Amino acid sequence: MKIVTIKTPDQVIIPLQQHDGAVCDSLVSVGDIVSVGQLIGDGEFRIHSSVSGEVTAVSELPHPTGKDVLSVVIKTHDGEKSEIEPVELSTGKIRRIIREAGIVEPNGQPTLRTKGDINTIVVNGTNTWDLSSSEALMLDHPSKIVYGLKALMETVGAKKAFIIIELGSEALHVMRTETIPDSNIKVIATPRYYPPGTENTLAKKFAKKKVPRGSTPEDRGVIVSSIAAMKAIYDALCDGEPMIKKVVTVAGAVGSPRDVLVDIGAPIGHVIKECGGCSGTPVKIIVNGAIPGAAQYSDEVPVIKTTTGILVQTESNIEREPPAPCINCAWCVDECPIGLMPHLLYGYADSAQFDKCAELYIGDCVECGMCAYVCPSKLPLVQIIRYGKHGVAEMEASE
Amino acid sequence: MTYTISPLPHVKSNESVKRVMWGTIAALLPITIAAIYLFGLPALTIILVTVIVAVVTEIVIYKAASQPITIGDGNAVLIGLLLALIMPPSVPIWVPIIGAAFAIAVPKYIFGGTGTLVFHPALVGFAFLLAAWPTLMGTGSTPNLGGFSDLFLETGAGRLVEASPALVLLGGAFVLYKKYVDRRVAFSATILLLLLMPIVGMGSQLPYVLTGGYFLGLIFLAADPVTTPATKRGRLVYGIMLAGLILIQLYFNTYFAGMCFAVLMMNVFSPLIDKNTIPKPIGGK
Repeated sequence: MKIVTIKTPDQVIIPLQQHDGAVCDSLVSVGDIVSVGQLIGDGEFRIHSSVSGEVTAVSELPHPTGKDVLSVVIKTHDGEKSEIEPVELSTGKIRRIIREAGIVEPNGQPTLRTKGDINTIVVNGTNTWDLSSSEALMLDHPSKIVYGLKALMETVGAKKAFIIIELGSEALHVMRTETIPDSNIKVIATPRYYPPGTENTLAKKFAKKKVPRGSTPEDRGVIVSSIAAMKAIYDALCDGEPMIKKVVTVAGAVGSPRDVLVDIGAPIGHVIKECGGCSGTPVKIIVNGAIPGAAQYSDEVPVIKTTTGILVQTESNIEREPPAPCINCAWCVDECPIGLMPHLLYGYADSAQFDKCAELYIGDCVECGMCAYVCPSKLPLVQIIRYGKHGVAEMEASE
Repeated sequence: MTYTISPLPHVKSNESVKRVMWGTIAALLPITIAAIYLFGLPALTIILVTVIVAVVTEIVIYKAASQPITIGDGNAVLIGLLLALIMPPSVPIWVPIIGAAFAIAVPKYIFGGTGTLVFHPALVGFAFLLAAWPTLMGTGSTPNLGGFSDLFLETGAGRLVEASPALVLLGGAFVLYKKYVDRRVAFSATILLLLLMPIVGMGSQLPYVLTGGYFLGLIFLAADPVTTPATKRGRLVYGIMLAGLILIQLYFNTYFAGMCFAVLMMNVFSPLIDKNTIPKPIGGK
């Protein structure tokens, strides 16, 4: 087994917003005793307790996105596990189960958004920079993933499914063997392809459906999902377990980098400690990969449903080169998965010409960070483009 | 415990402006050595003096303007080297001195320095010298690809860079592979030019185009990232228009100057092409 289960922390911090959308309502208050799998937050998504214990606080606490979010703090003690009853498969029920189990895709979106017709499912098995949680899941639980995928296909009536795996990954062989009996599931090998998280590019590239701007792949009959969600669907259907655990890659300057199974709400400091602690002085802790991830100002932030990795950097890994002028090399233009002009957006946003930014579709930027990664001038493109987006929003609000 | 926070990305590629410039200079070293081998001391003097004047001019101007000195990025050295390579070996040494100083002062500094300039400084320097002292800038012989051995050592070379077409191509292959110059411009212009020449009845002039000067022009000068458009379609359009302009220049002008003026004229169109080829984002209509 590649995935190592780590010790449950003494205290978990479960934010009531682990998805794109509004904060859920808290169903518990200080002093309540909760058990594993108990519903503690409800709203757009459901949030369950990952441990048994006593609620010690319900307050705004640091969140991996950098904001403070209303969170439930639970002090653990051993308790009994509460379960969702395993159910039979039928369209209405699996939709209900996905919702009841609180399954969230790594990009913060629900797996099923519409009730429209779906004919293709694309399962993204590629990993973001330096991370390997999808690969580890495929190596450890290939049959569970295929089960989850087949359940989803049956529910939505999809005729075919693609599993996208990087070339050279061990998981390629494992998943191909696993899907031999299923002629409608195809495993596709792809060169290391970044950014993996943009649904519309994946739908275009693999399901051959061009998704118009402002639409989601579901509008064209495609679901773009993830390995983690397939596993979560299996867990919910067969074990009755809601989404209370997450496979997270711990990488960088840690004692033993590996893929670990973590209780949602575990502070990242605890996860790093369970992986042998930091080797050297940690300077940066990044959640979700070195390129698209967010640097954390505290190791008290919890692992949430969208967390895929934790990366620890020491001083020697950190880029501090001052930016030079743009030389118009257009590497960012070649690299942009959306087809934007990052260097022009940078120039216009930097000089506060927000109308020009809007003309150049600044709102379409997915902030994957590739432009800033390749930039030979080391320009902080993403930072300035974010500023530009903010400026465009203010400009539009004042009109 | 305090941690550093910064916007993404948290790793960056190894490439930098410095590496792009010095890498391009390294790609020009084989042809530089071949030129010194073929022309001897005059070539060495021209190359050394031009590079030194370019660097000194940049230091003086940037110092006088109280701006940060960016000699380390190699841009001034590259401009000096490119200008030296397109000189005839017989030129009096004061000519490239004036050329190098002019190339740094006017097309580079006045137009805003690396990244914002409109015309390629080395080409502007060349055009200025050609207009001012046409007789001194003339070459003693004209390269004409006669046999296979001319590809490696062109004995009829009139300018330093024409010493060996193969070595220019070797350096060119390196910069194209590393994307230090724009592939779309270089390939579209070269292929179209070679295809069109026989079609429009200029096939007899092909041996003049398969020379070091042209390869330097099409790969290192025309495809220079600063002066070419940035959009993907725009770079193709630029290469296609450049091939057309070179053909027209070849018909009316001398072979090497024609190419230089064609590139300079295309530099003007670069922002216009960019403006009209802005791509729609994915899924856009």
